[in-house]
Amino acid sequence: MRPSLWAEAVKLAGSAVGRVGSVAVAVGIAVLSGAMLAAAASGDPQLLAKLGPAATQDWSGFLLAAAQITSAGGLIGFGVVLSWIFGREFGDGTITGLFALPVRRSTIALAKLFVYAMWATAMSLLLAALLLLVGLVAGLGPLTADSWTALARQTGLGIMTAAIAAPVAWAATLGRSVLAGVSVAIGLVVLAQISVLAGAGGWVPLASPALWAMSSGQAVTLLQIGLVLPYVGVFMLATAWAWRAMQLDR
Amino acid sequence: MTLSAHRATRSFRNGSGVFDVDLQLHPGQVVALVGLNGAGKSTLMRMLLGMLRPDRGEVRLAGCNVALAPASTWARVGHLVEYPLAYPELTVVRNLQLSARMHRVSEVDATVEAVIGEFALEPYRQRRTRALSLGNRQRVGLAAALQHDPSVIVLDEPSNSLDPAGLIRLRESLLRRSGGGAAVLVSSHHLDEVARIADRIVVINAGRLIGDLDPGTPGIERAFFESVRIDDERGAR
Repeated sequence: MRPSLWAEAVKLAGSAVGRVGSVAVAVGIAVLSGAMLAAAASGDPQLLAKLGPAATQDWSGFLLAAAQITSAGGLIGFGVVLSWIFGREFGDGTITGLFALPVRRSTIALAKLFVYAMWATAMSLLLAALLLLVGLVAGLGPLTADSWTALARQTGLGIMTAAIAAPVAWAATLGRSVLAGVSVAIGLVVLAQISVLAGAGGWVPLASPALWAMSSGQAVTLLQIGLVLPYVGVFMLATAWAWRAMQLDR
Repeated sequence: MTLSAHRATRSFRNGSGVFDVDLQLHPGQVVALVGLNGAGKSTLMRMLLGMLRPDRGEVRLAGCNVALAPASTWARVGHLVEYPLAYPELTVVRNLQLSARMHRVSEVDATVEAVIGEFALEPYRQRRTRALSLGNRQRVGLAAALQHDPSVIVLDEPSNSLDPAGLIRLRESLLRRSGGGAAVLVSSHHLDEVARIADRIVVINAGRLIGDLDPGTPGIERAFFESVRIDDERGAR
């Protein structure tokens, strides 16, 4: 596994997609959250109405806005990077070089997922740190115990948002392109929204992390949030299996 | 180590593919696979390397079904099929280190330095592969495929994009490795070039191996086209 982990880490670190994705997920979400804070400070009644509970100009409202942006924008951002990690091997033609090696292709796929998970965790921690910085600079004052908990929950949301993008890896493999994975990432955002509107969000792993973070953990049970694990596990195994059984027949 | 196909067939929905292929690569032997575009060269090479499973027949690597070959056996195979294993965002050195690690090379840095010298890649070592010419990218791919001194070498059109200096380095590299006991299979359109290094030239047409050409044959291109023409006429009947 070690050569594959090294290879995947080197590829992600050296790529423009990795750098742009890092900026988009960490800096982008922090800046957008700050922009919503600034919008709330403008006092425009129409804007305040649109922002709803996120317009309170305190840590609670600020982190609520960040959670909303992370759940949709973060899923797209994480999804694009994950799709590139898998789909680029087909687009660049390097997939032929990943056959006939002493490393199993399923091992390569799992190494890709592991490196992605490490990167996503680092980005979620960086995002939390940037949100803290933005909030302090914006004068939201010292954090209360509840605010620290909300910030920790935001980090958890970031990691879970990256995790629920797992079908993207499978789709990029089956579709053999980055575009196939990105399309599925967009589809996942739509599905999450529909499941919330239909009232089933807590039971749908695509939506439960966002509901959990935005309700301060009240609207989602431990069992419901725990469903994220088997959901991610199934798509990880499906991806590893797809790499194992892959033939270059198209 | 040997690599062989035994009545191996792999067909596609459009009717193309390779059919009933019997081919053996022996240690110390260079086999050249020649054929027109679409004749089945790449398909055959993909099947030999486990990228395609045969519908019928079998491919064996070191006496073992290729689908079941252990990692230690694959560590002794080097290949370049269609695209070099060279990531555009990485430098030449990084790409070679990556390939060496994936092939379980123990002395990565020494191995990479040696192959950089062998393929004259020194001036480009810190350049990103995307900034290289096609020919130099091909050199990187060949270096990545050969640096671990494999016992079985499969190269699909390795002379693509190479300049004359690159061609000479490739030729010397393959001859040295086959002299050291490696079994080599190369496909090419350049009959004169492969005739210089091949011990055996196998002609493929419409997915079937239709015979051998003697590398020493004068006017080998004419002999090649004649064998393809006869096979096409036989197929038409």
